[in-house]
Amino acid sequence: MPVPDDNPQTPAKVALGRQLFFDPRLSRDGKVACASCHQPRFAFSDGGKPVSTGIYGRKGQRNAPSLTNVAFRRHLFWEGRSPRLELQAVGPLTAHDEMGMEPDELSERLKAIPEYAKAFQEVFGEAPSLRSVTYAIAAFERTLLSYNSPFDRYQAGDDKAMSEAALRGMELFFSEKGDCFHCHVGPDFTDDEPRNTALYTVYKDIGLARATGKDEDVGKFKTPTLRNVALTAPYMHDGSIQTLREAVQHYNQGGQPNLNADALIRPLGLTDAEVDDLVAFLQSLTDESFTTNPAFLPPR
Amino acid sequence: MKGWLSLVPLFLAGALAAPVELKINLRIGEQPLRFGQTYQTPQGQRYQIEMLKFYLSEVALVRPDGSEVPAKGLVLADFRPGGPTQGVSVMKMDVPAGQYRGLRFNVGVPRELNHLDAGTQQMPLGVNSGMYWAWNPGYIFYRLEGLALLPEGNQKWVIHMGTDAFRIPVRLQDLQTRRVQINIPPSGGVITLNLDVSKAFQPGPGGAFVDWRQRPMRQLHGLSPETSLLMSVVYYHMQSAFSLAQ
Ligand code: HEC
Ligand code: HEC
Repeated sequence: MPVPDDNPQTPAKVALGRQLFFDPRLSRDGKVACASCHQPRFAFSDGGKPVSTGIYGRKGQRNAPSLTNVAFRRHLFWEGRSPRLELQAVGPLTAHDEMGMEPDELSERLKAIPEYAKAFQEVFGEAPSLRSVTYAIAAFERTLLSYNSPFDRYQAGDDKAMSEAALRGMELFFSEKGDCFHCHVGPDFTDDEPRNTALYTVYKDIGLARATGKDEDVGKFKTPTLRNVALTAPYMHDGSIQTLREAVQHYNQGGQPNLNADALIRPLGLTDAEVDDLVAFLQSLTDESFTTNPAFLPPR
Repeated sequence: MKGWLSLVPLFLAGALAAPVELKINLRIGEQPLRFGQTYQTPQGQRYQIEMLKFYLSEVALVRPDGSEVPAKGLVLADFRPGGPTQGVSVMKMDVPAGQYRGLRFNVGVPRELNHLDAGTQQMPLGVNSGMYWAWNPGYIFYRLEGLALLPEGNQKWVIHMGTDAFRIPVRLQDLQTRRVQINIPPSGGVITLNLDVSKAFQPGPGGAFVDWRQRPMRQLHGLSPETSLLMSVVYYHMQSAFSLAQ
């Protein structure tokens, strides 16, 4: 697992990070934790909600992605502009529509909680600060590993792990016909790159272009992992697609007319049965042990 | 010969360096800014200011002949409710005593510092500054936040200006004349700047203005079809939001 030199994993740090991840006291109104929008039973996505609700009921603009195997993501956020988990966590902790904390406010609040004051002293040798909070949470996030789906068991030699439909879907997924694997590639089914899948002709959320200001980046969002995807509906950066079947149909139809569309996006000519098979394959990426692992649930 | 020349400024600085303090008054138009007080934009929208933080860097005093005396350092000015808004000291520097035409600086973080790993930087950089921009690596240069008092209720708004393209150059010297505006005696002195925070709400070309009734405008940060024009308008006005006091 890629761990940065300045944040080595230790059991005590992971335990502290877990405590923090589930603790709503890290938000201004005391009601929102990381886990409010990244819930274990939805593979750390926001169960059924297209966009999430932060402090004071403030609604965000985007769908909360799954944190499955997030340790391996080279680029974070939908436009993929954050280089590592420590720095990514600054976003939700300080964003006024997520947790809305100022650094000094956060450290004062945690200093006043004796268990935290003690734990930070033990783990970091210093009082709690925004920085050390993000380092502990990142250490916990790096433990959120999931490689025990039917697909993994099949790969490991269990011929019965996947259904016939799922096996046919897998063939399609990795074939030039389905052509999913060029973007959804590697053990986590993502190239970690921003791509335009022609979801819209005119994107309301312009994606990568928000940061670069470049026309060709309009509508580009990072390819998401497909692990546990059956648990993370609704789909896409804005949660606009409700079901896996509709997601596959989006690709089958070749998306909407869009000048920036990736060359791989084109009508695929899949039959209904083939669409069903692809859905069955996506469902075989669900790791039940991931959502029930006691180490990933709220402490105590 | 070259070596000898480069010794001259050092010698002068050593001999005549005077301590200078840079202070800032926050203003709304001509009035001192008060947190929690309700103000009005030129378009009649009512608002309150809740915080202002910004980086100052590459500060230099400008001599009558146009040459510059750079002051080292990067500072984070931090104004929040409960704290002062007038005569707030933001920077101390040593410069040769003498007469100066004015001052220039950037609101922002120099490019070579803006993209270092924020996890390993010390204050005023680093994530504990509250200025690190998680989704868009680099720092927010100018961070203004407040409330809009709308008929439907109070709405939070933010103006976050950052990325290398939005570093704001400020020049407080008369480019036409050599008029001396700053006099630093050998015992040192204070340079006080007014910052008219409400400049951000001045209209731009075609009358475009920050209209908080529209939801996208409550979050001016980064570029988007709805906000890019307004980002340019705010950026433009910010360049003239600072002035020398008196
Ligand atoms: C109010 C809901 C909300 C809260 C609270 C929240 N998140 Fe998120 N999270 C999101 C959304 C929405 C995104 C996608 C945002 C974007 O890309 O612009 C996201 C993205 C992420 C990502 C990026 C994943 C990827 O693959 O790119 C990580 C990691 C993450 N959040 C971790 C955290 C942590 C850690 C916390 C607590 C400190 C947290 N989140 C709190 C909603 C939330
Ligand atoms: C050109 C690269 C590319 C190709 C080809 C591609 N995808 Fe995607 N996929 C993406 C991107 C990018 C997104 C997110 C798009 C967005 O949010 O606007 C995505 C999103 C998804 C999602 C939703 C995941 C979530 O968590 O929201 C599913 C499911 C999916 N793809 C399945 C597939 C399948 C099945 C195929 C093949 C038929 C396929 N993809 C082909 C890049 C691609």
